[in-house]
Amino acid sequence: MIDWLTELQRSNPHLIKALLVGTLVSTACGVTGCWIILRRMAFLADALAHAMLAGVVAGFLVMKLLFASQSYAPAMLIGSVFAALFTVVVVGWVSRVSRIKEDTVIGITYTGVFALGGVLLSFFSRHVHIDVVHFLTGQLLAVRMADLWAMAFVTVFVLSVYILFYRSLQLVAFDRVLAASIGIPVLAFDYLLTACTSFVVVSGVNVVGVILVVGLLIIPAATAYLLCDRLPRMLALSALFGWTSFIVGYLWAEAVNVAPGSAVVVTGAAQFFVVLLIAPRYGVLADWLRRRRMIPQMLIEDVLRSVLKSRQDTISLAQLVTLMGGSVDRLTQAVKQLIREGLLVRDGENVRLTDQGRDYAMRLQRAHRLWETYLASVGTPQRELHDRADAMEHVHDEQAVDYLDDRLGHPLHDPHGSEIPEDFVHLVPGAVVPLAMLREGHRGEVVRLENESLESDFALGMLLTVKARSRDGHQWNVELPDGRVLGLSHQEADRVWVKLRVE
Amino acid sequence: MTEPAIDVEHLTVSYGPVPALLDVSFSVPPGTLVGVIGPNGSGKSTLIKTILGFLKPDVGQVRVFGQPTDRIKGSVAYVPQRSAVDWDFPVTVREVALMGRYGKVPWYRSLSPEDYAAAEEALRRVRMQQLADRQIGQLSGGQQQRVFMARAMAQGAQVLLLDEPFAGVDAATESAILDVLRETKAAGRTLVVVHHDLATAAEYFDRLLLLKQRVYAYGEPREVLRADLLTQVYEGRLRVFAQVLEGGDAEERGDEGERADR
Repeated sequence: MIDWLTELQRSNPHLIKALLVGTLVSTACGVTGCWIILRRMAFLADALAHAMLAGVVAGFLVMKLLFASQSYAPAMLIGSVFAALFTVVVVGWVSRVSRIKEDTVIGITYTGVFALGGVLLSFFSRHVHIDVVHFLTGQLLAVRMADLWAMAFVTVFVLSVYILFYRSLQLVAFDRVLAASIGIPVLAFDYLLTACTSFVVVSGVNVVGVILVVGLLIIPAATAYLLCDRLPRMLALSALFGWTSFIVGYLWAEAVNVAPGSAVVVTGAAQFFVVLLIAPRYGVLADWLRRRRMIPQMLIEDVLRSVLKSRQDTISLAQLVTLMGGSVDRLTQAVKQLIREGLLVRDGENVRLTDQGRDYAMRLQRAHRLWETYLASVGTPQRELHDRADAMEHVHDEQAVDYLDDRLGHPLHDPHGSEIPEDFVHLVPGAVVPLAMLREGHRGEVVRLENESLESDFALGMLLTVKARSRDGHQWNVELPDGRVLGLSHQEADRVWVKLRVE
Repeated sequence: MTEPAIDVEHLTVSYGPVPALLDVSFSVPPGTLVGVIGPNGSGKSTLIKTILGFLKPDVGQVRVFGQPTDRIKGSVAYVPQRSAVDWDFPVTVREVALMGRYGKVPWYRSLSPEDYAAAEEALRRVRMQQLADRQIGQLSGGQQQRVFMARAMAQGAQVLLLDEPFAGVDAATESAILDVLRETKAAGRTLVVVHHDLATAAEYFDRLLLLKQRVYAYGEPREVLRADLLTQVYEGRLRVFAQVLEGGDAEERGDEGERADR
């Protein structure tokens, strides 16, 4: 083992250090990224990364000018954390005191602070030897021992924070009001998380540079988010994804000799898109499959009505296929679902409607024929009637259908002359309904009269028998107990409320 | 006389020159289901957040069972508005119920078996045990509301504040949520519920608080749902509740009928 490592070290002097740095950084970034995306701070994290330039330069200058120490890593670290916290405070303050929205304030502040860093950098260019290119794209191959120690410290620090204050961080991210009400210092945790983020960003900048560090933070976390329904698992998986994107990215960058930072982020993004496609629950593919497998309610209802139209409510699958066309597979699945829902039963080779299925199908038939009558009444051309009604029958909400029925004067037949099924949902023995809803043969006793002029003919408790309608279905005829038959208009019939008799 | 569960005295809360709440005083006896009604922007949510201790009042104070709220953290539980919750958050039903226990455990100690048992018991009481391992986004509206009710119970709070629990739910869910509220009340807890539907207010609550910055009326629904008061509070928007008032009267008649029967 040791031999192998020494051999490795000799053949590629950067490798072990690079791997160590990458492991530390990707772990810290991955875990921190989870908090960032759950709190929707991704843009703020990006801002922090840029604002750090000013802090790094300032930290460098302080050490260089006051202590004559070259590129002292911890000072640059502290400098950048200050720059980050400064940015956060300014962002919070400006959005509070002005009408400018937070995203705009972030844009203003970080570009301002970033540019200030640029100004410092060029003004003190005699003293400062920070390679801007490295700052922008990372300097994985030039990491020194001091940086390595700083990163180890950062990783240990942020992981300890997350473990020790897991519950508080979780609650502040999920429900600030509850958090505050049980005494968690919400604001302090906001700043703690910001501090952790800037620590991590500083260490991440060494690997992939300031432009790409946000990718290192949020891509692994977003990838894990697609796979997890629990936060602890998401944190662990995110660290793992960060690590795999680092290793894979770094190795192929070495192989084809490109900038390792970019390679790492490209790998992470590729990883994300693969997971986005194939994730079992939240993936695109899973979603597509789910939608494909789902049998639309419309197909289900079409099957029901086809069975109703057949003789004795019984039909074979083969007949159903010839009748309805379309994919045999989907029809079979629709029939299976109807059997599961108890609307159809198997009857040898055939399927038959259950009582419940028959009710459902009758309701659809009633909706269909009422829609057809309605469409005809609003001037739909004859040849379109059937197809349009086929589409509209799926709008079979009780109240909507009742409205149509009443508006059309409770028609008995549709434009093709087929009988419209009666409203068997409401017409049950004991129900109190307007007389207008009743059909020939119904009997019921008068319970309410909404018009005084009706009182001359009707009395409460009087038993009525409904006869066939006349005048093209526009006159309701009822037989009184004494044998007289009275003719009523739709309006009048709507004002006589009867309680339906048990037959 | 028993001590009031919630005692609000001369509460004024402001964000600017116009106060959100002005001189609000009322007290709620234990085991009462109170509805807070009022037009949009009338300070209903502000009232909830102040009772909770999330907002600091400029003037006045809130006492819960005689104690100032900032003295007894976590004694008041809160059920957020459904639209205020991130339903995609990677957290399960059980974990949400457990959050009710967070206030009782210092940060350096882990949750004890008793905490887990309390969360489990709370889930059992709202009949959500079977779904305890579900991620919260995979629940129906009524179930989602029940999870947060369970969290409030696990918190052991005697006072529950609910922000618009009936907003954007269908009729079936609404009645399911109402059942949970009534069961919670039957267990002796005090509930304050922000409500926007005047048509159901009389039926759902023991008492109503008509709020628009200040308290316009507080008491039994029939004392509060009066045409003159509602006109004053809702100003030009009377047409909407012409029916409501009718319904309210019918409700009253119904009540009296019931009483006569007994």
